[in-house]
This record gives sequence, structure tokens and C-alpha cells, in this order.
Amino acid sequence: MTNLLSLVDVNLASAASFRPELALTFGTMAMFILDLFWKNHPARPARLATGALLVLGVAAALLVSQPTAPGSLFNGMIATDGFATFFKWLFLLAAGLTVLISAPGKDFPPARLGEFYALLMAMVLGLFLMASATDLLMVYLSIELVSLVSYVLAGFKKGDRRAAEASLKYVIYGGVASGVMLFGMSYLFGLLGTTSIGQLAGRIQHLQASGLPAAATKLTLVVAMVLITAGVGYKIAAVPWHMWCPDVYEGAPTPFTAFLSVGPKAAGFAVALRLFYGALSGPSAVTAGFGEAVGGLPWPAIIGVMSVATMTLGNLTALAQTNLKRLLAYSSIAHAGYLLMGLSAASDRGVQAIMIYLLIYVVMNLGSFLVVILVAEATGSESILDYRGLAKRHPLAATAFAVFLFSLTGIPPFAGFVGKWYLFVAVLDRVPGPGGNWYAVLAIIGALNSAVSLYYYVRVVRAMFIDQPYAEPRQAPATPLMYQLLLSASAVAVLVFGLWWTPMIDWTSASLQIFKG
Amino acid sequence: MPLTPLQTYFPIGLVLLVGSGLALVLLLLANVLGPRRPNAAKMSPFECGSVPVGSARDRFGVKFYVVALLFIVFDIEAVFLFPWAVLSTELGWAGYVEMLIFVATLVVGLAYVWKKGVLDWAE
Repeated sequence: MTNLLSLVDVNLASAASFRPELALTFGTMAMFILDLFWKNHPARPARLATGALLVLGVAAALLVSQPTAPGSLFNGMIATDGFATFFKWLFLLAAGLTVLISAPGKDFPPARLGEFYALLMAMVLGLFLMASATDLLMVYLSIELVSLVSYVLAGFKKGDRRAAEASLKYVIYGGVASGVMLFGMSYLFGLLGTTSIGQLAGRIQHLQASGLPAAATKLTLVVAMVLITAGVGYKIAAVPWHMWCPDVYEGAPTPFTAFLSVGPKAAGFAVALRLFYGALSGPSAVTAGFGEAVGGLPWPAIIGVMSVATMTLGNLTALAQTNLKRLLAYSSIAHAGYLLMGLSAASDRGVQAIMIYLLIYVVMNLGSFLVVILVAEATGSESILDYRGLAKRHPLAATAFAVFLFSLTGIPPFAGFVGKWYLFVAVLDRVPGPGGNWYAVLAIIGALNSAVSLYYYVRVVRAMFIDQPYAEPRQAPATPLMYQLLLSASAVAVLVFGLWWTPMIDWTSASLQIFKG
Repeated sequence: MPLTPLQTYFPIGLVLLVGSGLALVLLLLANVLGPRRPNAAKMSPFECGSVPVGSARDRFGVKFYVVALLFIVFDIEAVFLFPWAVLSTELGWAGYVEMLIFVATLVVGLAYVWKKGVLDWAE
């Protein structure tokens, strides 16, 4: 029984570096219990929001006090490293902002707000695990945890047809995607005999060296990698696995849409980076750059093609949208495309660029959705027509939205420019190397896409500042102070970090440490 | 010679083959050798011995679904409790606390469902 006891000891030792996650686990339970109190109390939303922020705060405090040395936990299931910690901060930031946004809003009736917060905490736990998973099983489980909560929250508005459609589409699409991914993982395990991400590269090399029938092995390996890529691609809404995205974004309650557009996307990129860059760009790589191959499959080239398809389709489809939520959904698909450029570069600089971009993206995208909530509460609509004359009715919201939209385009001096700049630099760095011409093509297409995106972002700005109001404006309800504060803070952050980006660079380059057990 | 990962699946394939083969053979034998004298009582669906009252393809109250869900949750709890109970002395206090946390999680869920009125059958 010594064997068993040593397992218990491993688990207990691991729990010491697992405290933020434990806080979220118990926080989820605590929020479910809190939900049962203060049934008809007028201060119910405020109290529940305080509870949720407290849970996130405890998790954050424990994250700060956690040992910083990289290490493996629970027999190699997850790892603590700077990379994971960076993403955990991102998720805490996004979740905190979402809690603040949803408390005063009308999207969640007070009676059901506690449910939302409890599920949100569970989702943050899933995102934490996604960012730190170092085992294929853990990758699958954490993606499932995030997805299952997302399905429920996408259909949160009971009796709403769009919500029901969103939830059903999401369940079917997500179920198939994660099933396909699990199937690919089973092939990978059958071939390599391991589920540990850190061991994949070595085993692949070993397999290539052994005398198995090369063609069959190669084919199985390629199929397995494609299936796993499909699972991750679904999570970040990359073409051709993006179809669920606009409908789900439109049907879900807007504060949750805001969270959905940043949290799971960032976590999906964390998984992709750990898998493709952390594990597979090492010793198994035959040549550097675009030709870098796993079992004969040049994955940076494939990611590059995905990136081009994703940003082009996202931007071109966004041009035709008149519903702001759908417009932002297609814009978020396009942004997944830009981010994939960084992955395709397969370099430390590319990883850093993705991290910087995601950090900025959280602030500007949550800010944009906050404006959508504000307008929807005043007019009951998400149509671009109702944004006409917003500058007169609500100067703060219009100005902040303009800042976010220009930042999403990537125009200086806004923070989005810094993120895009680093992404392009990472790609252009690869141009002198092998396959450099293709990287140049990727960069050019990326630049063209940014120009296209300017058109539909500016269309919204024009509606807000220049166009005459579509209908006689009704008396708008007073904006909650919380919204005004959040809008100003986000807009100021986007402006400040567009001019003074050293802290972001320092933080991300300190977080570039990926544990390779 | 060490087995390649694929070769280690051979025993599993063998079990699959023998298992499905056995089931197939038994069904075939029963079909060929067994006498067949159907009557009304034999052909009616089995409902724990009571007389059937209608078709099984009927609409059910959605509340059964929640009860079934709760049943599965506590069923799985038992599945986890059994191996722990067998090894509880070896696992010591750490195992005990882990199990307490596990059970407490389920109790929270049950309390939530209860307070939300899911278990009220009156309406």
C-alpha cells in the first residue's frame, strides 16, 4: 500500500500550488448557497456581485502568494508556470469585469443572478485548468468543463427563441467538436503510448526512427493532429469551425457574450500554444519555420492558412452585419485569425505577441460589449440604426466605443495597435528564414484585412457621430454609475497602454516560461 | 522483443472477439434449440409483475428527468465510496477529508435543488 500512500502525498503536495483553483471550486459552491438567500431583497444583485468578486479576489490573492517556480502537479496532469499564471490573471480580469457589468444590468433578472455567478466561477475554474493542462486528458476535461457551462449560459434566457437556438447549436457543435478531438487523442495515445503533452515530441521522434510501416503511421499521426486541431479550433472559433459563433453570441445574454468572446478564446490559445509551440516545435521539428513538421505535417503552414481563412472570412462577413452583437462576433472571429498569425510564427516572439494582444483584447472587447448593453437597455435594440446620434444622447458611451473600435482596428495611438504591431513583427521576423516568402504573404494579407476591418468599424463610428437619429430618441434611462466608471476606465486603459506599453512587454516576457516536464 | 504500443492492444482485441463471439453463439443456440410457444402474457412488456396499463411510448413529466439525474449522481457517489471504504484505514485522515469534501459537494447540490423546489411534486 506504500504505492497508494505516495499517490496521496503527491496530491497533497500538489494542492499547495493549486490553491487558486481550490478557492474557485469552493467559491462555486458558496455562490450556489448564497443564491438561496435574500430572495426578494432590493440589494440582492449588489450582495451577490460582492460575493462573486470576493471569490475572485481570494483566488487572485492565492495566485499572488503561490510559489512561482515552475512545476508539475498531480502526476503531470497540470503545470504551474509563468505562462499559465499570465492567462489566469487574464481570466480573473475578464471574470471580474463581467461580474461588474452584469450586476446593474437587465440581462440577468435578480432572481437568477446567483445562478449566473456560480456558473461563471465554475467556468473560470475550467479556464484555469485549460491554461495549465499538460496532459491530453486534462485538456479534454477542462475544455468540457468550460463548454458545458457555456451551453447552459448561452441558453440562459428561458423561453427566448434565439437563446434556445444558440444553446442547441452550441451543444450540438461543441459535442461533435470535443468528441472529434477526443477521438484524435485516442489515436495519438494508441500511436505514442502517452497522454503527456511534454512527452509527445520525443515519442514521435522515436516512432519515426522505429521501423513501423511509415506511410500508415504518418497518416494516423496526421489524422490525429487534424482532429485535435479541430477541437482547439472550435474553442477559438477559427475557420472552418466558426459557425456556432455568431448565433451563440447573439442569443446569449450580452454580459456572458462579452465573457465568452475573451475567456474561452484566450484559454483555447493557451492550449494551442502549449500543444503546438510548447511541445511540438522542439526536437521533432525537421526544419525551422514554415516547414517545421510533425510526422510530415508542416503545422505552422497549416495554422498560417487557417489564420488567413479566419481573418478574411471574419472581416468580409462583418461588412454585411447590421446587428452589433453579430458584427462583434464576426470581428472576434477575425481577431482569432490575427492571433493565429502569432502561432504560425512559432517563436517566442509570436507567443509574446499573442499574450499582449489577448491582454488588450480583453479590455477593448469587454468595453465594446458594455456599450452594446447600454444601448440595448436604452433602446431595446442591437441594430446599428439605433446607434445613430449616440454621440448626442450619450457622449461618454459614444466616445468610449469609438476608442474601442479604433483600437480593435489597430490604429495608433490606441492599445490595439501595440498588439497588432507585435503580431506583425513576430511574423516579419520569420521572413529571412526558411519559407520566409509565405510569412511575407501572411503579413500582407493580415495588413489588407486590417484595412477591410476599418470600414465596418468606422461605419459604427459614423452612425454614432455623424448620422441623424433614425427615430425620435426616447427619454433614455439614467446610466448606472458602474457603467460610467467601467467605460471610462476601459477607454483610459486602452489609451494609456497604447502610448506606454513597457509594462505589458515586461510582464509578458517574464511570463514566457512554458513548463516542459 | 518489446511490444510496440499498437501490439499491446492485442489482448483487448482478443477479449472483444471472444466476448462478442460468445454472445452471438449463445443467442444463436437459444434461437435454434429453444422451444417457442408464445401466449398473450408472455408477449406483454414486463413491468415488474403488474398488469401493463398502456403504451410505454407516452409523455412523461419532465420532473422524472431531474430525479433520474439525482439518482445517477448519488449512484456514482456510492461507486466512489466503495473503494475508499475498502482502503479507508490505509488512506488515513487525508483520504477521509477528501471523501468528506466530495460528499459535502453533493450535499450542497442536493440542498440547492431542494431549496429551489425541484423535488416538490404537488403542482
